[in-house]
Amino acid sequence: MKLLALEGVSFNYGSQLPTVLQEVNLAIGTGQCHCVSGPTGSGKSSLLNLLAGVLNRPHEGDIWRYPQLVTGLVMQDPQTQLLRQTVGAEVAFALENLGIPAEKMLPKVQLALRRVGLYLRLDTQVSTLSLGQKYRLMIAAQLVCEPHLLLLDEPWAQLDDHGVSELLVVLRNLIQDGMALVLVEHNAAAFAEIIQHYWQLEVGKLSEGIYTVNDAPQVEAPAWRNQPKFEHLGKVLVSAEAFDFGFDACPMLFACPQGFQLQAGEIVTLVGDNGSGKTSLLKTIAGVLSSRQRLPLKVLGRRPKLGIYGAELGLLMQRPSRQLFETSVLAEMQFSLRRFELPKERAAQMLDELDLFSLAQLSPHKLSYGQQHLIALASLACLRPKVLLLDDPLAGMDKHYYGKVWYLLKRLSSQGCAILLSSHRSIEHSAVSRQLSLRNGLLVEELIETGERYVG
Amino acid sequence: MTKKIPLSLQDSLFVGFCATLLVALTGMLRLKLGLSGHSMFLMSFFYLICYGVLGRFGSMTACGAIAGIVAMALGVGKGGPMILLKFALPAIAMDLVALLLPLSMNLHWRCVILGIAGCIAWAGKVALTNVLAGMALDVVLIQWGLSVLKGGFFATLGALLVPPVLTRLKAHDLLHRDKF
Amino acid sequence: MWASCRRLRALRHWSYERRETALCALSLLLVCVLSACAFVLPAALLLPLAGLNGLLVIHGLLRRGSIWGVLKLGLVQLSITLSLYLILYGVEHLAQGAVVVARIILATIPGWWLCITAAPERIGEVLSAFLPTKWAFVVAASLSLLPYMADEIREIYQIQCLRGARITPKALRNPKNWSELVYCVLFPVLIQLLKLSRQMAVAAQSRHFGLAQRPTHWHSSRDKND
Repeated sequence: MKLLALEGVSFNYGSQLPTVLQEVNLAIGTGQCHCVSGPTGSGKSSLLNLLAGVLNRPHEGDIWRYPQLVTGLVMQDPQTQLLRQTVGAEVAFALENLGIPAEKMLPKVQLALRRVGLYLRLDTQVSTLSLGQKYRLMIAAQLVCEPHLLLLDEPWAQLDDHGVSELLVVLRNLIQDGMALVLVEHNAAAFAEIIQHYWQLEVGKLSEGIYTVNDAPQVEAPAWRNQPKFEHLGKVLVSAEAFDFGFDACPMLFACPQGFQLQAGEIVTLVGDNGSGKTSLLKTIAGVLSSRQRLPLKVLGRRPKLGIYGAELGLLMQRPSRQLFETSVLAEMQFSLRRFELPKERAAQMLDELDLFSLAQLSPHKLSYGQQHLIALASLACLRPKVLLLDDPLAGMDKHYYGKVWYLLKRLSSQGCAILLSSHRSIEHSAVSRQLSLRNGLLVEELIETGERYVG
Repeated sequence: MTKKIPLSLQDSLFVGFCATLLVALTGMLRLKLGLSGHSMFLMSFFYLICYGVLGRFGSMTACGAIAGIVAMALGVGKGGPMILLKFALPAIAMDLVALLLPLSMNLHWRCVILGIAGCIAWAGKVALTNVLAGMALDVVLIQWGLSVLKGGFFATLGALLVPPVLTRLKAHDLLHRDKF
Repeated sequence: MWASCRRLRALRHWSYERRETALCALSLLLVCVLSACAFVLPAALLLPLAGLNGLLVIHGLLRRGSIWGVLKLGLVQLSITLSLYLILYGVEHLAQGAVVVARIILATIPGWWLCITAAPERIGEVLSAFLPTKWAFVVAASLSLLPYMADEIREIYQIQCLRGARITPKALRNPKNWSELVYCVLFPVLIQLLKLSRQMAVAAQSRHFGLAQRPTHWHSSRDKND
């Protein structure tokens, strides 16, 4: 049975703004699973919002909907979607809005939670759930209205592998029950076992096929490999002895029985599941997070404290687009250079090297997701820090910007910068010297398969 | 600037979030700075941001009312029903005065006038409390005058920071709210 | 008979949250009455009122509240008011000034007590009962998002400090740097608020918010394990 059909649909956010969707044709029927992939910022989320019927702007073309069509939309950020304190109240929110009598709510809520495999007390606090559980809760909150069509926005990026496998089980069961699914995902491979129809969205045009994202980066022999090693390479810039890490008045998050070190010129990855403490550790190294417990940690020879390192330490937190505020990209990149009294010309040079000079006079908020990330990283790179800490810098990145990010990182490490980057998935790249693994409450160094390891 | 359709859920949420942020920052700064009158800086700033972003009558009043409710709930400024008036009265005054100002007037001047109107209402609330408590009228007037001077300085400062922020929001195309 | 049995069951099932909310509503009413009394009662009755407020203070202190803020307000008001009374009217009217300040304090104490004894969400819920559905939702959403907003401001502030912005507490002593705080921190925070409001509105609308004139209410009294 056909549920929804788009014919020649075009859409933009304003007459002065670029077209987001161009002449899109798409038909969805019961029990079908469609996946729309494409580069970040290509309009996938807008397409999903259009299918869900929540876009307030007019569109061109025709959209046919099954008369009693009920759609469920699960967006990316749990923060904006989890609206109540307890599991039961969260799932029941939609029923409240539909005016369902209170006594009829309980069986519907229980069924929705069973369908997503969440066997929890109804008064469980939402804040205590893992990210994977929160994601399934968001699905349950939509399932309670018994939708015919479920729309999911980029689930892979936020979930770890365990969360993804739990989600696959749920989605497979929903499809078997006859529900139609539209997944917007730039890593379609993760859900290959349930997807029946592949679409790609590029420059607003929808066509059949998969937009490939190369998660395994291309191995490039860096041009400076044959240059003589510098004296500062190998110098220990960050060192920690054995410690237990935890917040004040909270149980210990993880233990590091052997301590760790970061040497100049290395790129080290810190891999661990969501919630394991990666971000907290990075923030502690940068001096941003301070706790009463004084860790045996030395960064650039001193105990970490906010702001004492100046331009010598850089930290790129998650969602770096938050920090953008200047009127142009060039001004944004020059901001830190001006504050630390470094040559302003480095900003323009950096943009040139990254082949992004055309963006120099644009507003940072008009850039695509990948461009914003890259500009935030490039503005740190301009400072030529000695220690660079990156919190999940590759999240949601597509192939094009992935390559530029690695170019920047390799360049910095060749200049003697010690780089530590965190991720919830293992990063396989020839530039990575070592991997620190944060699993089961332990931070240890893990051996990774090496051919020739690149060190500065 | 007057639109007859009710505020959309999105705009209402923006007003609510601004109000909550206003209250949270007021609470934090009160602890750190201990200055009185500085709350006029934040009130003036956030109410005028709502005015500039939403561009309609009632947005400042809504922000003030929600701020008062949130402040009562959070116990900022000792809580109680009087805190509701402290946030709501300046907002109502600013909305009423905004109706009288021509749209052709330069935004900077409009913001400053509205900021001062808010400050006078804020000082007025203090005066009202004092009158109800039986304070002698000339003492009330002197305290009112001092409040207007203190608050007026901060309100003007907050008001002057609003036009450049609005300009930037517009320049970045961020006021096309659907885009998010 | 069936009707009375059902009513009895309904009363027993009246959840813990409902009881708490009702208690909060009564407390709020008490607070309004006591605050009004502080202004309205003649001076002779202020002492018994002070006694009542004293009980509230003891209860509040037992619940680990800090009375320091109220005391500070009282001292500041006392010094300003008494000085003005002294200058304008002389020593004879100092007592009058003290009574004025006493009334202001007595009007403040009940509010302080309420915030210590009732959770913010409860107070928000009670106050929102007088609001239209949309605004009640806005109040609830704002209160529940406050910790996230606080984290966002803190993180943006820390990011900008690391980038060299002149917004450290030391730098902010110079008023010239206040505009830096607005551009580097408040402006990005406003952008986040714009995004958040948009996304939350879409999330709520996708769950049919605003469809029913009078939404119903979930009772979460029951345990899942049945």
